[in-house]
Amino acid sequence: MSDWHAAWQAISGHPLFGLGLTLGVYQLALALYEKTRWVFVQPMLVSVCLLSGVLWLLKIPYAQYASSSQLLTLLLGPATVALAVPLFMNLRRVRQLLWPTVLTLLVAGTLATVLGVGLAWLLGLEDWLLLTLAPKSVTSPIAMLVAEQIGGVAALAAVFVIITGIIGVLLGPEFLRLCGITHPAAQGMALGLTSHAIGTARALQEGEECGGFSALAMSLMGVSTAVLLPLVVALLV
Amino acid sequence: MLLRGITALIVLQIIGSGVQVLLLPMLPGPIIGLLLLFIWLLLRGEVSPALHEGAGALLRYLPLLLVPPSAGVILYAADLADDLLKLALVLLVSLTVSLWFTGFFMQWLIRRQQRKEASHE
Repeated sequence: MSDWHAAWQAISGHPLFGLGLTLGVYQLALALYEKTRWVFVQPMLVSVCLLSGVLWLLKIPYAQYASSSQLLTLLLGPATVALAVPLFMNLRRVRQLLWPTVLTLLVAGTLATVLGVGLAWLLGLEDWLLLTLAPKSVTSPIAMLVAEQIGGVAALAAVFVIITGIIGVLLGPEFLRLCGITHPAAQGMALGLTSHAIGTARALQEGEECGGFSALAMSLMGVSTAVLLPLVVALLV
Repeated sequence: MLLRGITALIVLQIIGSGVQVLLLPMLPGPIIGLLLLFIWLLLRGEVSPALHEGAGALLRYLPLLLVPPSAGVILYAADLADDLLKLALVLLVSLTVSLWFTGFFMQWLIRRQQRKEASHE
């Protein structure tokens, strides 16, 4: 009996346990997504749900899991730096519509951020939740960094980001067309600015122009949020 | 090639963290790295194949890299349960309005620009 216990200790206490578990769960989630092709079964969202369940069942504390999956977490920094590459490549593509793009980014980007925080404030949610909601329209690596920087909770920020993205895709170009928004650049801008990477994946299905603008909007919104939000919060709080 | 690209990205992230402590405490280190890389690309005018490969490899697995920190949400499950309805309302309403407004505003600006160009000719 004690041997079984020791063996389990060796497995769950192994420095690679968290990494192996994450990779395994992610493979499962990918397979599920490939089978169903539903927006609801975003591999990342499913992985997080499965993983949380497994950790809870096996009674493994989150801190222990976090330290044994550090190999993945550490690569988030360089991956964020890498976002400069798609940003640069999309910037060249849209020179003719530079001013509409810049103005929309400033006005609509501010609205997307202020509206979420304002509504949450009106409903009486606590301060740490407001700060966690602020970067919800931004791609998750940036949202998580920014949330942490301004005093929110990184893990929760990621969840808000994903839910936002899924709502954006569910409404999608169909909703925009219903509202009379038919220009592909405008549709792409709307999807990328509000629904980041998940919206961009949907916009790419609409076509080259829609997808290109969505990727551009996503990167611009991400970078400007990362630069401006911590500054604004530092000034206000 | 792949390794050279990833090396550049890691070096930029580390430099970014140094710059953060020295000059820009309000910006996350990786974001400073992103801005440095972006400026460098603007000056250079093109993406080298090594950088393209390294960035592509990391970005392809971005959802996977985000899983461990996101699983930390289980630590806050209890705090969230009370505010679940309010949070759902905030996310749904703010997304719907921003999605509509962004598309509407962009389309209005594009049409205005096209009208201006047409009247100049």
